[in-house]
Amino acid sequence: MTSRLAIFATAVFLMLFQHSATGHHSFAVEFTVEETAVIEGVVAEVWFKNPHVRYYIDVTNAAGEKDRWDTRGSSPSLLVRRGWTKETISVGDTVIIKGHLGRDDKRLLSIIGIDLADGTKLGAHY
Amino acid sequence: MLKIRNMRYCTAVIMAFFPFLAVHAQNSLQGEWMVELSGEGPPIIGMLSLQESGDGWVGHIEGGPVTVETESDAIEILVDSRDLAGFVFNRRLTGDYDDASMSGSFTIEGATEDPEPGGAWTAVRKAPTVPRQPPAPVDLGGMWTPAPGIDFRKYSMDLTESAKEWHAGYVMHYDQPNVRCVSAGIVAMVAWGAYPFEIVTSKDRLTYLYEVDSEVRRVFLNEKRPPDYYPPSPMGFSNGYWDGSNLVVDTQLLEGNVRDFRGEPVSEGARMHERYSLSEDGSTLSAVIKLIDPANYNVEPTRRRQWVRNPATEIYPYECDPDSFYRQMYEQGKMDMYFERADRREMN
Repeated sequence: MTSRLAIFATAVFLMLFQHSATGHHSFAVEFTVEETAVIEGVVAEVWFKNPHVRYYIDVTNAAGEKDRWDTRGSSPSLLVRRGWTKETISVGDTVIIKGHLGRDDKRLLSIIGIDLADGTKLGAHY
Repeated sequence: MLKIRNMRYCTAVIMAFFPFLAVHAQNSLQGEWMVELSGEGPPIIGMLSLQESGDGWVGHIEGGPVTVETESDAIEILVDSRDLAGFVFNRRLTGDYDDASMSGSFTIEGATEDPEPGGAWTAVRKAPTVPRQPPAPVDLGGMWTPAPGIDFRKYSMDLTESAKEWHAGYVMHYDQPNVRCVSAGIVAMVAWGAYPFEIVTSKDRLTYLYEVDSEVRRVFLNEKRPPDYYPPSPMGFSNGYWDGSNLVVDTQLLEGNVRDFRGEPVSEGARMHERYSLSEDGSTLSAVIKLIDPANYNVEPTRRRQWVRNPATEIYPYECDPDSFYRQMYEQGKMDMYFERADRREMN
């Protein structure tokens, strides 16, 4: 069941985000397909521009310090077709982001899905 | 099955006593074949070329090298490919062959984001090239969105020694032109699978409006020659003509660039040859795209693409800001490294 869910999530991810691989450069170079992570934090910066949408997220670590994560989505022109606009996520919003981890232990995520504080689910759930 | 085994046994016996016949049997593979894979999704098509060498067969699919093993009338072909996310995997084709056809099944090996379930494959001899037909233009005007399937997504190509040397140090997420908002050029763009494009028809010209990079391309149908001193550019200079109802486009004056995400070089002076065909109902546009670049490729790389007519879509604006790329370099302390890699951005 878990593997079916994983396959389904992967399929949806590809439908929504494959352009980040096909449109610009290879997902495989920077991200791992096997390793995913979930982070919860506050949006510090919104970059809603090509070649990739980015949300910079401040995550409080175990020591109480803030780590900044670079999370990446698709290109704006592909997202806005699905109603995901620059205004969908704003600086100061609390978000939970699931994504594929960047290689080399970077604080880097390729977004699979985002849960907003009001319960809205974007990405894999979108 | 029994029949096939008997046939193989008889063949083995004959070959043991008349070895010259084995050479004849091997030679029967020589030439060009059209391979079709059929599984759950749309079919995947590619051209397989086989040439006999001293110790077996030298094979290429879509211009890229493949491993070919034969034993009696059995054949195995190993094709490296990449998925939409860039992960490389192999398709292993096994089956039987005779003078006119091959068939069997294929399986997938290696990590891929979107694993194919495998399926059946067939191959037939490539049909002879027919002479150019009188023009019979069809209406290609309208909005086109990419359709999945058809392309083998062959991973490795048959690079020349100098191209291998250049490509050896290529790092996609530092060196790919479009990560810093520089056009990757028509050779890469024409095969991308995410963005729509529009064809506007007018007298003696087709104008392609690509959403990605907001690129524009003019295909002249009146044998117009490039103006004097027309510079090489990412989109080049394109001339087209109608071969029957097929549109043939030749593009020259391409500047040095990369062929695809893998970063294999395209030299200044390379040409691209495209052949577009429209389905009978006008709903599907197909293209076979060849890169002609002997400075970098021993065999011409080939891609196949399909698009579906989609009047409901729109071309969205596409602006690109490289700030996030340079910021990442800066934050990772890699700006010096980036500038020291200037040769990665020179592909002349």
